[in-house]
Amino acid sequence: MHIPDGYLSPATCGLFGAIMIPIWRRASRAVKKTLSVRQVPYLAIGAAFSFVIMMFNVPIPGGSTGHAVGGVLVAILLGPWAACIAVTVALVIQALLFGDGGITAIGVNCFNMAFVLPFVGYYVYTLISSDSPSGSGRRVIAAGAGAYVGIGAAALCAGIEFGLQPILYHTANGQALYSPYGLNVAVPAMVLGHLLVFGWVEVIVTALVVKYLQKQNSVFFKGERS
Amino acid sequence: MSKTLHKRSDFIKRSMLSALVFLKDATLSEEYANRKGFLQSLDPRIKTISLLAFLVTMISLKSAVLIGTLYGFCLILAFSSSIPIRHFLGRTLFFIPFFSLCIVLPTLFSTVTPGDPVCSFNVLGINGTLTRPGIDGALLFVVRIATSVSLVVLLSLTTRHSELLKVLRIFGIPYIFVLTVSMCYRYLYIFATMVENIFTAVKSRVGVVSHHRHGQNVVAWNIANTWNRTTQMSEEVYMAMLSRGYTGEPRLLSQFYATPKDWVWLLSSLIICAGLFYSGHIL
Repeated sequence: MHIPDGYLSPATCGLFGAIMIPIWRRASRAVKKTLSVRQVPYLAIGAAFSFVIMMFNVPIPGGSTGHAVGGVLVAILLGPWAACIAVTVALVIQALLFGDGGITAIGVNCFNMAFVLPFVGYYVYTLISSDSPSGSGRRVIAAGAGAYVGIGAAALCAGIEFGLQPILYHTANGQALYSPYGLNVAVPAMVLGHLLVFGWVEVIVTALVVKYLQKQNSVFFKGERS
Repeated sequence: MSKTLHKRSDFIKRSMLSALVFLKDATLSEEYANRKGFLQSLDPRIKTISLLAFLVTMISLKSAVLIGTLYGFCLILAFSSSIPIRHFLGRTLFFIPFFSLCIVLPTLFSTVTPGDPVCSFNVLGINGTLTRPGIDGALLFVVRIATSVSLVVLLSLTTRHSELLKVLRIFGIPYIFVLTVSMCYRYLYIFATMVENIFTAVKSRVGVVSHHRHGQNVVAWNIANTWNRTTQMSEEVYMAMLSRGYTGEPRLLSQFYATPKDWVWLLSSLIICAGLFYSGHIL
């Protein structure tokens, strides 16, 4: 899901960077309103937590392993706006310090993983969980469904971004200048790959973590307050 | 222990490895950043602007030759910055560029990219024809990815991570955001160590997790537990911040100083970028 530098044109990267600026601004305002000064370290530690989730390898049938992105889980725990900032911080650190995801593509990656993924997932979660009690099984199912739909939506966005490149940016003889596959290849490749394999890892991690936090009687579902 | 059980306990090993790779990468980067070299001697702000200018210029170029020249320039910069070339090539040519090469392989053939045929072959009764636009497109794509990875690796290997995060200020990013990024980076060390300890404990106490469903429960329980420890820690950190005089308005202590050498480098970089951009339009 992390798009490296060079896969997308500078215009695409610039456009998504411009789209993300008002989103980050809105997120900062929303977080200032909902989190007190006391909770500044909470946001930083939440960002570190969203980075660390990717270090946990989850066993999947067949003996292989995968890791979750955790965007929807962070949105359920911190609220969608705080999750937007937390995941952005994690993506900035990954791109700048570890070369995971491009620097020029930071706007696009943040749009997919720090905006679409947590927001779509979070609203699916709130829609399904509705006003069910915090310890109910419905919330576990809602968390899993949110994670699945969230990662599917983010993968769809990434597929469209890749697929538009050869249509918009090519030489006179039709040679693609950036990502070479059109929408007919890029969208199914991204969406099916994520819905058939990675989406399930996301579902398992998000649903089980919510279940364990319920068991421990945690009152950490901050998202419900914002 | 059966082979299957070994395979299924892999997630413990891989999780430990993820944490160790993070810690190793971070330590190794600091080691290179502390060496004496050309890029290390530059002001982090100037270095970031110049390398980003190269990155943006390179992404705008449509000629594989010009981008290849820029890759050669990256090798010179790596050499002059005391980064072993073997390590640099390993970091910049494997994984992302190799993965990208695998992605573009089908575009080499006439079935995906029609055009002038370069050569045809028959393998196991399947005919294939490589085309000129296919080869040119794939070459441009892979060279661009390798060069962009090289520029980012040069930046991250020659700058202390703490300084690199503070450089975000020059882009007008609010202090509170820079503070969050810096704090987050410090906690990553703690959490990576925590993940490693968790799985070392699981391995030493359980040995092998026999079924993937049980393994998933182990992982989920540990993520939930990490979250609980996270929230406890945030309270303690806030108390520590208060005791050191935090009033709600963050202040960053270290300042950067640019020397004439930095300005000369910035000017030279911008001239090279303009030259590449101009050449890109002519070619």
